[in-house]
Amino acid sequence: MRVALVGMLSVAIISGSLARAADLAAGKEKAGLCTACHGESGISQTENIPSLAAQPDQFIQWQLVFFRSGSRKSEQMQPIVEQINNDDIRNLGAYFASLAPPQASQPDDNPDLSQKGAQAAAGRRCASCHTDTFAGTKAVARIAGQREDYLLKALHDYKSGVRSGGGMAAMADVAYPLSEEEITALAHYLAHL
Amino acid sequence: MKSAFNRSILALAAMFVVAAAGQAGAQGKLKSYQSGTKEFWTHPPDDWFLGDETEAQKGLAPPSGPPTGASEAELAAMMKKIKLPPGFKIEVYAPGVLAARQMAWGDKGTLFVGSFGLGNVYAVTDNGGKKQVKTILKGLNMPTGLAFRDGALYVIAVNKLIKYDNAEANLDKLGDGKVVYDDMPSYAAHGWKYLAADKDGWFYVPFGPPFNIGIPPTSVSQIRRVDPKTGNAELVALGVRNSVGGDVDPRTGKYWFTENARDWMSDDTPSDKLNMIAKPGEHFGYPYCHQGDMPDPKFAMGHKCSEFTPPVLNLGAHVAPLGMKFYTGDQFPADYKNSILIAEHGSWNRHKYQGGRIVRVTVGPDGKNPKQEVFASGWIEGDQGYLGRPDDIIMDKDGSILVADDWAGAIYRISYKK
Repeated sequence: MRVALVGMLSVAIISGSLARAADLAAGKEKAGLCTACHGESGISQTENIPSLAAQPDQFIQWQLVFFRSGSRKSEQMQPIVEQINNDDIRNLGAYFASLAPPQASQPDDNPDLSQKGAQAAAGRRCASCHTDTFAGTKAVARIAGQREDYLLKALHDYKSGVRSGGGMAAMADVAYPLSEEEITALAHYLAHL
Repeated sequence: MKSAFNRSILALAAMFVVAAAGQAGAQGKLKSYQSGTKEFWTHPPDDWFLGDETEAQKGLAPPSGPPTGASEAELAAMMKKIKLPPGFKIEVYAPGVLAARQMAWGDKGTLFVGSFGLGNVYAVTDNGGKKQVKTILKGLNMPTGLAFRDGALYVIAVNKLIKYDNAEANLDKLGDGKVVYDDMPSYAAHGWKYLAADKDGWFYVPFGPPFNIGIPPTSVSQIRRVDPKTGNAELVALGVRNSVGGDVDPRTGKYWFTENARDWMSDDTPSDKLNMIAKPGEHFGYPYCHQGDMPDPKFAMGHKCSEFTPPVLNLGAHVAPLGMKFYTGDQFPADYKNSILIAEHGSWNRHKYQGGRIVRVTVGPDGKNPKQEVFASGWIEGDQGYLGRPDDIIMDKDGSILVADDWAGAIYRISYKK
């Protein structure tokens, strides 16, 4: 117990020293812009719209910056990002990162498909960037527990080149060779984690 | 004369192999890719920057900077931490230049700045002593390289060299420009570029391979010299991995360039390099030989390092040298004249980061007697933390230098006073 406590404290200190002066309350207020589509507390109830709860701070911020620069395109997001400045972006990143992650859809109605998805995730080396728990880190998205329909959409967008995925373009390169079966299995597996 | 290159890179395609991914085992088995397909040229190997790492290196993924750059308060605090030789001073020239990469001066004093994944090109102008940063181009594909010649802004965005005529008079409406050279692969992997003009107005343009280590297909791992007026091009260097910086020597007219060495050998090998093209067509060793004296464990394939042009200087492992300039001003102490200042972006997959600084290299015009020393440092905090990452340098008219930083999203000025 003591060991665990010390561990938590040092994590808090480290993240505290690196963290920018983001304002959670201001982020929560600004997130009012997001609720209609992304749901209360960042859990989406809307088809093809991702949950944002517990996404890494930097991932949220980068996507907003990409929408703003036009390097990621979305008709729904365009008018939103026109209303936010750099401070809002920092605050929104901190706010969504502070929320409890979405609960996986349970029970798994197709364990065989999840099994295939797990194999695909290992073979395609998803954990190299998304981490072993698929919770994401830094600029890399949390994909565990994400909506299955949105995971399908995102993988299709990467595969077709609609979305390139950050400066390194890694997701476009990774998704391009994925088969339809792999995409279906990956989305099902990750949504049920 | 037609382009020295066949218009179709597909015609140049060749079968080649790259090292098997780490998970395939340490058998040294080489896996092959077929570059004769159109798909290869649109979608490079998906393991191009991760894939060769060992278990001990797992998790060393590219670090990600603050998406909105450093705030003015953070920049002010950072400036106090930067170490310089006595008499030198660093200050913020312009904040809010997100993902800033190569810089170029317009004739009328506009500072143009490219960017990485954001796809922006900026114009920094002086507005009553305050710098104004305007996004003048959006949505380009990694427009990292810029140049300015005869009133025109040139932007290189992976596979397009685009010319914007009369740019400084049209900062608000640059339009789509005109593509003047596009005989380049379209993939992003090591496809971001840098431009350096010589006295004839031809550009030196680097072409990186779409993977960490492998036998490069014929049209990459090289440096070309491109005439933006005609689209003609010639091959001036072979065996080059990832180069994103270079300058023409004011003493000789020869092209010098920085080069990032292969990844995943170890934290301390191989060294990144400073090279000089003494005569056109030299081979600098990649993938057979690294740092002038280290045969690749898999890809040497019987080649000896003595077959290749050695570097002028080994700069250190994982320091990531990018933009560089010969110092040609009069403001710095006299012995800085013709020194090379190199912006080192710093490590992304070393356990303890190094680089993230500016080094000064003094060297003869023939490449003899190279010496390097740290010129500006202090951007690294702890083992794997960055305050900023310098990536390009340009001279200012008064003899000071400007430094671009894509992590903090800012331009700095470094000046000297006795």
